[in-house]
Amino acid sequence: MALLDAQTLARLAGVRLRARAVMEGVLSGQHKSPHQGQSVEFAEHKEYAPGDELRHMDWKAYGKFDRYYVKRFEHETNLRAALVVDASASMDYRSGALFKLEVASTLAGALAYLLVRQQDAVGVTLLADGGAREIPARASAGHLNVVLDALEQVKPGGTADLLVAADRVAESLRGRALVCVFSDLFDTREGALERILSLRHRRNDVAVFQIVDPTELDFPFDDPTRFLSMEDTRFIEANPRELRESYLESFHAFLESTRRSCAEAGADYERVRTDEPLDQVLLRFLARRQRRRG
Amino acid sequence: MSFANSWALWGCLAALLPILIHLFDRRRARPLPFAAITFVLQSQRRTASRLRLKRILLYTLRTLVFLCVPLALARPSCTPESAAAAQTRGPAATAIVLDTSLSMRTRADGTPIFEAAIEEARRALADLRPEEPATLVTCGGQEALPGPPDFDRAGMRTRLDGLEEAGYLHADLNRCLDAAARALEESPLPGRRLVVISDFAAHGLRLEAPPPVVSDGEGGHIQPEVVLRPVGSDPAPGNAAVTRVQVAPATQAGPGTFELTATVRNASPEALSDTELSLQIDGHVVAKAFLDVPAGGTVNKALVHRFEQTGVVSGALALSADALPEDDAHPFVLRVPEPVRVLVINGAPAAQRFADELFFLEPALTTQGGPVRATFRDSFAGLSEQLGEVDVVVLANVAAPDAGTVETLRTFVEGGGGLWITMGDQVDPEAYNAAFGSLLPRNLRDVRTAAERGDQDAEARAGRLTQLDREHPLLRPFVGRAAEGLETARFYRYMLFEGGVEGSRVLAAFQDGAPALVVGRRGEGRVALYASTVDRDWADLALSTAFLPLVQRLSAYLGGDLDTREAPSVQVGERLTLAVPEGQRVGTVEGPMADVPVRATEEARVEVGPLTVPGLYGVKDGDGQALPALSFSAFLGSEESDLRRVPLEDLQRWFGEEKVTTSGLDTPAREVPVWTWLLVIAALALFGEGLLLRR
Repeated sequence: MALLDAQTLARLAGVRLRARAVMEGVLSGQHKSPHQGQSVEFAEHKEYAPGDELRHMDWKAYGKFDRYYVKRFEHETNLRAALVVDASASMDYRSGALFKLEVASTLAGALAYLLVRQQDAVGVTLLADGGAREIPARASAGHLNVVLDALEQVKPGGTADLLVAADRVAESLRGRALVCVFSDLFDTREGALERILSLRHRRNDVAVFQIVDPTELDFPFDDPTRFLSMEDTRFIEANPRELRESYLESFHAFLESTRRSCAEAGADYERVRTDEPLDQVLLRFLARRQRRRG
Repeated sequence: MSFANSWALWGCLAALLPILIHLFDRRRARPLPFAAITFVLQSQRRTASRLRLKRILLYTLRTLVFLCVPLALARPSCTPESAAAAQTRGPAATAIVLDTSLSMRTRADGTPIFEAAIEEARRALADLRPEEPATLVTCGGQEALPGPPDFDRAGMRTRLDGLEEAGYLHADLNRCLDAAARALEESPLPGRRLVVISDFAAHGLRLEAPPPVVSDGEGGHIQPEVVLRPVGSDPAPGNAAVTRVQVAPATQAGPGTFELTATVRNASPEALSDTELSLQIDGHVVAKAFLDVPAGGTVNKALVHRFEQTGVVSGALALSADALPEDDAHPFVLRVPEPVRVLVINGAPAAQRFADELFFLEPALTTQGGPVRATFRDSFAGLSEQLGEVDVVVLANVAAPDAGTVETLRTFVEGGGGLWITMGDQVDPEAYNAAFGSLLPRNLRDVRTAAERGDQDAEARAGRLTQLDREHPLLRPFVGRAAEGLETARFYRYMLFEGGVEGSRVLAAFQDGAPALVVGRRGEGRVALYASTVDRDWADLALSTAFLPLVQRLSAYLGGDLDTREAPSVQVGERLTLAVPEGQRVGTVEGPMADVPVRATEEARVEVGPLTVPGLYGVKDGDGQALPALSFSAFLGSEESDLRRVPLEDLQRWFGEEKVTTSGLDTPAREVPVWTWLLVIAALALFGEGLLLRR
């Protein structure tokens, strides 16, 4: 399997090509449906409640326990995935070949390829300028083009509101789904990440891809620098050598905190450096999911 | 607070460097959009106070380093006592007495202590209060009386600036202090102060004399306040000097050979061992010797050197340099003569060589490398033509010549030629007296036979030379073993002389008192009478080792070369009278540093000087043509070579202890050097900066 590093991907024009390249580098996966529904494989009983279909009533159980139970079934079905891509201004940053947004879009596109190829339904939520643009989830091959076009045309700007994103995704999802968030998660407002992770409580799978640039990880600056905010008017003039130790401590604490929050919420967490091969990222992610599902 | 190198204070501007670099760095901060700025801001907020403190500390430490180093280079020192004392006294008219004598040229750490003295004088001037008038009294041996104290500080500073170096003369500090005290009497202020800046060498002060006092205007005297500002190291460094050089021809060692004798004085409390003495000619070392001189002692050391060239030669006898290098070299000028040209008339030639009158004299005068160029004749034929080419004529056992020949010889002698007459069988006393008359320094009387050769007692009865006049340059080398040849020679027969002509001198006589060698001046020339023969007929002097040097020196003496070798020399500070040869005129005299005043005193004589600088002096005529024959040298007096100091306690006692305060560069008890502490602070600051940068 060819490893696609950032330099190679950067030479491919557009998200579509990059995503396809990444996808082709990844083995296709099997998704075990968490949905109960039209299936022959019995899963469990549920006490009857008004609105349940009477055809699923288990009369035998009624005979035994003198209570109404409804049968529930597990069967193979298409996955429903919501890809949340942060397109805030902070994602418009790069020190190497790829912007963070390009990495996020490529990963999301590649995942969309994989999912649609398996007849799964894919929707996209793009976060920019404080709002969110949604493309509902569908499983058709034509829908893939819509998704890729949206990823390709998105322009970075403004801030990403994870609270809004979580609400919109929650509203759009019917039943359980895979929610993938591609963001640097620099929306450090109280509860923003938690709201995203709360989707997990609805028995959705949540995967967080935190996109970071190498310079954010290492802070390799030496000369006196005037640091400018990319999302607002904040700035600071500083000698990086004096701040490096403290910065690295803060930033790595933030990364660790994010990872721990995801772990505690049962969400997948992938830290993605913009200079690492993206197919490897997806492989790592898929392998971890595979292991978790046994 | 005072600074030894005040120019270094400009370096303190470097203390602005850290701030300037900081401002420069701020200006060139490059803008960088950065996504994770939130964390940069967080870090800045968290570390701001610590960083600010660290930065302030860093700037402070760096500023300290840049401030302390130039401050330390300026060599600051505190003089708290003198400053405090000056404040408590009332205003006083002040005379700053600055020693500019030769000993102030003594080096301390390679620098003349006079430079420190000038700094002290500037400091003393700066310490004066505005209402205090002052006068500057330089004390270098030749100063005019100082003016009354005034407020012309700028004028005094200008005078100090003009004093680039100390003089070469001996200074009488007592006389200078008295002159300064008299100058203070001109001031109406009741307070009088003497500031004395000197090395306080013992040679300049007489503590047995009364201390300086100032008249109070009512017939009484008051003692002025005295501030002593000693310079130079205490104890004073040791010093040796060449105090005298004597130059004497050493014709016995060959033509153009001179013996130069240096008198070396060691004024150190320790003996000198293997000290180098070198003879320098035209700046090149041509001979060396090594001396051991006892502490406080004096030794003479002679160096013999043969000069290849003739004419005027200048040079110096020099010791290896010590604390006072000026007195280590003693200059001299000498004139290396041409060989003496001698014409010998043989009065008793013989076919048999050993029987010839000149059998011994000829080889003695024609020695290879000798100072004499001799020609030999058997008669007076062509004498008048030959006399123009010779300096000395020798009549060896010659019969009395005719009147014309004698007249020719008289003219030759009176014009500066030399005539040497030796006796023998051909010499008839009466005929000689009649022929030569007053040309002879003695009349010839008769031949005396002391003993007949071959007699048994001839050895005892033969005449011997006694009464040698070793003061005369002719016989000066014949001392000790060198005189044995003269003293042991036997004279069987000799001419008795009688009478005495004014200006004649007996250089040697026999034991019976009869003169053996008589010399006299006639006009510009000299005549010598030798009472015996130059062969073995009457005496066996010709066989002795003294014969050759005696003959050669006698020829040189008669040729005028023994007494005109050393050019005049004069001690610095004095004047020199030069005898100007007829037909010449002295225009200028060029010294080692500048022309010297020349004043005509009487006919054919000029007075040069006063001479203030040691070294070689050249003379030029009115047309700028050099007159090398008149060159001369000036040497230093020996008083200033003894650098030993008067103890400060003795000085304080002499001036009156309650009136004296002491200050100065080399009095550590009074001066508190600060620069070492500044260096320590700078080092600590550097260390601290390194620690901060590591954190």
